[in-house]
Amino acid sequence: MGIHTNFSRNYAYVLVAALAAPAAALAQTEITLPVLVPVTGFLSLEGTSQRNGALLAIKNAPPGIKINSSVTDTGASPEGATTALERALSRGKPVAIAASMLGTQMLAMMPIALENKIPLTTVSGTADITEKQNPYVFRFFPGDAVAKAAHVRYVTEELKKKRVALVYQTTAYGQGGRAQIIEQLKKLGLTPVMEEALDVSVKDMSAVIGKVQASNPDVVMIHLHGGPSALFLKQAAAAKLNLPVVAGSGMSQPSTAALLEPAELKGVCAETNAAPLAGGSADMSNFLAQYRAEFKTEPDGFAVGQYDATSMVINAALNGAKTPEDMRKALATTSYKGLAMTYKADAKGNMANSAVIICYDDKSRTPKIAKRYD
Amino acid sequence: MLLQISLNALALGAAYGLLALGFVMILNATSAVNFAHGDMVMVGAYLAIALHGVFNIPGALLLPLVMALMALLGFVFSWFAYFPLKDRPPVSVFISTIAIGIVFQNSINAVQGAEPRKGPALLGEGQLALGSLTISEQSLSIIGVALLLIVAQYYLLNRTGIGRKLRATAQDRPMAEALGIRVNRMIALTFAIGSALAGAAGLMLSNTFFTSPTDGSNYILKAYIAVTIGGWGSLPGALCGALIIALFEVVYPSLPVLIPALKEIAPLLFTQTTSTIVLYIGLLCIMFFRPQGLFGEKVQKRV
Repeated sequence: MGIHTNFSRNYAYVLVAALAAPAAALAQTEITLPVLVPVTGFLSLEGTSQRNGALLAIKNAPPGIKINSSVTDTGASPEGATTALERALSRGKPVAIAASMLGTQMLAMMPIALENKIPLTTVSGTADITEKQNPYVFRFFPGDAVAKAAHVRYVTEELKKKRVALVYQTTAYGQGGRAQIIEQLKKLGLTPVMEEALDVSVKDMSAVIGKVQASNPDVVMIHLHGGPSALFLKQAAAAKLNLPVVAGSGMSQPSTAALLEPAELKGVCAETNAAPLAGGSADMSNFLAQYRAEFKTEPDGFAVGQYDATSMVINAALNGAKTPEDMRKALATTSYKGLAMTYKADAKGNMANSAVIICYDDKSRTPKIAKRYD
Repeated sequence: MLLQISLNALALGAAYGLLALGFVMILNATSAVNFAHGDMVMVGAYLAIALHGVFNIPGALLLPLVMALMALLGFVFSWFAYFPLKDRPPVSVFISTIAIGIVFQNSINAVQGAEPRKGPALLGEGQLALGSLTISEQSLSIIGVALLLIVAQYYLLNRTGIGRKLRATAQDRPMAEALGIRVNRMIALTFAIGSALAGAAGLMLSNTFFTSPTDGSNYILKAYIAVTIGGWGSLPGALCGALIIALFEVVYPSLPVLIPALKEIAPLLFTQTTSTIVLYIGLLCIMFFRPQGLFGEKVQKRV
């Protein structure tokens, strides 16, 4: 673990220093904003997007602010995250922390944040993190309650499907999403015709696909991480499942779609906060071009979410929030127009109250926004 | 349906088998667990992806090159992870292999990124239609190539002079040394062969199941369990253990589809999650009641 952390931190220092240099030259306000995200481990793909979004927002900070930031890899364990947070708190006086999107890590970091009265901004979708009455947590990604409502509404209202087969991950992300989907379906008087949980290490999906087929559904809802989503869709296409699939945010990542042939994406939709590849505004197109140039990869909704979160923190600092408590108040009470949406906290710290459904056709891996739910 | 599921299980088991064979060969030769073996599978997968980007030829043609380069890596690995520590307590070798595995993971992460990647197919990715049955070309290719490699390994170990020296080194190192066998050379060769097999498994698995820098820890667990089930040190046992794991991953959770009555009797007993629980309970039973594994020797320590 030590090797992970040191490696990530060292190259992150160099990267942050290079990115922040232009802003530092004109500094008047100075803030410390550590980025504690999983750059290694099973969520490294999503964590890297989160890191990139934060770094790009720091690079794009307006003149008049100096941002001291370093990236620390939290790995995939709760201890990795708490150690990183305690170290960040002991090294300076952060005004806020860009915190891991891994739900179990957030749950471990939250008591420390509460004790030290330090705001955490995150793009974790895990429902529980905003259910703990912790006033220092701010989620810039649609929580399960918002995202799954959109997920279920799209299935029932747009696709007009009723016989749902539900496949989800055994992680906190998967189980939290599953609970919300079941609750939303229940409100409509529906129960899944089939349910199955998958560990992230499951490679062969033929058993679960066979069960889906045997239950005779008219739609499949999957709530899996990126890699398993691609595995499911690839093997479902091979098994000629021929059913519409509405997936969780894992499927909205460009790297997930890149694993599949366009034909395997036919009839596949996914919920997310934003679809940067689909553009939609000049600001989003600029973000897309800059992200590609900076990181040589495609951005996803997590990158956009953390970009917006970090931009809002920087904006609040420029407007006078120089202490963690000022920052908490600013995040809790003001609204901010970001790339993906306008963010405004509810009583629990949910900043993102919109979700979009993106859909793929069988001709390309670039999705189109099919429906927006505010 | 049964044939299709069995074929998937066999393809997965065959790839796991190569992984487990390499693992147990190194275990026998060094009496140490190579915890980086799973990461070798991942490195083999990335090597195949990189070579495919350069040559753009099917995986079957890349396989010899991947295996040769992985053998070289295994040879170098032995000089860093094993030989400097071979006279220290076994835990030193465990730790050194874990450390090098983490170096592999992070190096690939830094160079290639964290995104899952898809490797080249051995021959093709299409589906062969046989009546109502559709069979994946890749699954058939994996079974064929893995079988070929297993037979080749059997021939090498049992029908050649070098194989006899390898086995002698694995069975009784001091005696082999007394007979003039250069045991260090044999151990390095074992690392090379084991790593080549891991690389072959990586190439095969990366097309159907993709690969990412963190895959190694999952694969080492499979190898470890396969060897524990089959018998610590037994090559046929490792193969059998790998097949059992694949059966639990693919066939066991499919039973309600194959036998619909099971769905009514015990719907929760045949999920993907319970299949893992049952597999590990089975593993515990083997450890309690047959600690030498299904194919292991009854004598635990040689005099």
